[in-house]
Amino acid sequence: MSNNDSNRWEELQIARLLDGLTDGEQAEYDEIASRRPTEEQDSLSKVVATLDVAWSNMQSEQLPEHLRRTILERANQELAAKPTVELAKRLPERAAARGFGNALPWFLAAACLLIAVFIWGLNRPAQQADPAQLRADLIASNTGVVQANWSPGTTPVLNAAGDIVWSSQRQQGFMRFRGLPVNKPTEEQYQLWIFDKNQSDKTPVDGGVFDITSTGETIVPIDAKLRVQEPFMFAITIEKPGGVVVSSRERLPLLAKIE
Amino acid sequence: MNYPLLPRIANGDLSAVDECLERYGGLVWSLARRLSRTLTDAEDAVQEIFVDLWRNADRFRAEIADEATFVATLARRRLIDRLRKSRREYDSQPIDEAALQYAAPPHKPPVEVAEEGSRATACLEGLRKDERNVLELSIYHGLPQTRIAEVTGLPLGTVKSHSRRGLLQLRDCMKIRSRRRSPGVEAL
Repeated sequence: MSNNDSNRWEELQIARLLDGLTDGEQAEYDEIASRRPTEEQDSLSKVVATLDVAWSNMQSEQLPEHLRRTILERANQELAAKPTVELAKRLPERAAARGFGNALPWFLAAACLLIAVFIWGLNRPAQQADPAQLRADLIASNTGVVQANWSPGTTPVLNAAGDIVWSSQRQQGFMRFRGLPVNKPTEEQYQLWIFDKNQSDKTPVDGGVFDITSTGETIVPIDAKLRVQEPFMFAITIEKPGGVVVSSRERLPLLAKIE
Repeated sequence: MNYPLLPRIANGDLSAVDECLERYGGLVWSLARRLSRTLTDAEDAVQEIFVDLWRNADRFRAEIADEATFVATLARRRLIDRLRKSRREYDSQPIDEAALQYAAPPHKPPVEVAEEGSRATACLEGLRKDERNVLELSIYHGLPQTRIAEVTGLPLGTVKSHSRRGLLQLRDCMKIRSRRRSPGVEAL
């Protein structure tokens, strides 16, 4: 590698570490990295990571408890969904040496079992996607996502907090709550309203009816009934079961304004 | 001696997750607080980082780096990506103002800080003042180089050369100190 190449390689490593790389730089980095030993690629990262660990040890900050609980819940979902692969155990020599004739019934039984598993797999209901992961994917998608924190509405509830994210490009969004009281779906339900710059304030878009089953962190997907173009405010009202077409806004615990 | 937890997590051992949060929760949280625009961003980032960690647990190799270094590297990479994206979407001013309000890095390591960490902070202390300042603004506060140039009044080219020279000196200094303490063993 020439001096110029070597300089460029260092420049890319440092930029990646401190400022991040553009797509073009990343492609260049990947190309050079494929020709360099792994330990060399990591040496500057290690220096910075060592400093990060040292500073963290000196300050001894603790992960907030609510965040710890949320991460534990996500780990349960994530690891439960993760396939674990066990290496097949080696057959004892004697068993392996048996003739094919002795094993035939077992082969037939195994074939039937495989067919049954295959048919069950085809009919199995699709696994529910994790809302937290979908939300994270949306935020990372760089599709003009807007985000706002919940603030008290006209009839606030104590300690309710969270935020809302929305992408008009994807017509997808999520509400996140902590401390919002659990509702009885047979008596009342929460309903989201989306105020759009292209729509009268009197007729905000219905963002869907939902229930809160825990005062811990809850993530609810937004179910907008109409296309939302430029939202500037979101409101949560409490309505009769099934929601309403036009809200009286008598009970409005949370608001989120896009700044 | 802390036994590595990531191989257990890679095998689907849920009991290791709790220990992992206990051991590295503070590290990831402090990094996320330093390198995020807002508290909400930091909370989102921490969740993403730990999910990333479960998914990449099988990539950890104890012979290449210790586990805390692996966690910090992965966390920083994710945070820098997020900062870069948020800088594209928002005016950088509020992000940087928030970053600068976070306390400066502690300079005198207590005795209990790990040996390699002590070497790193001692090497940082040994840099020229302007180089150290640029590196702290960059590594600790997460400021982009253009903003560092504004804050320090240094030309952008000087900021870039300080970052580069400072980091390379840090790496070399840590290698030398590591060799002095463990003759015949290359730590990096």
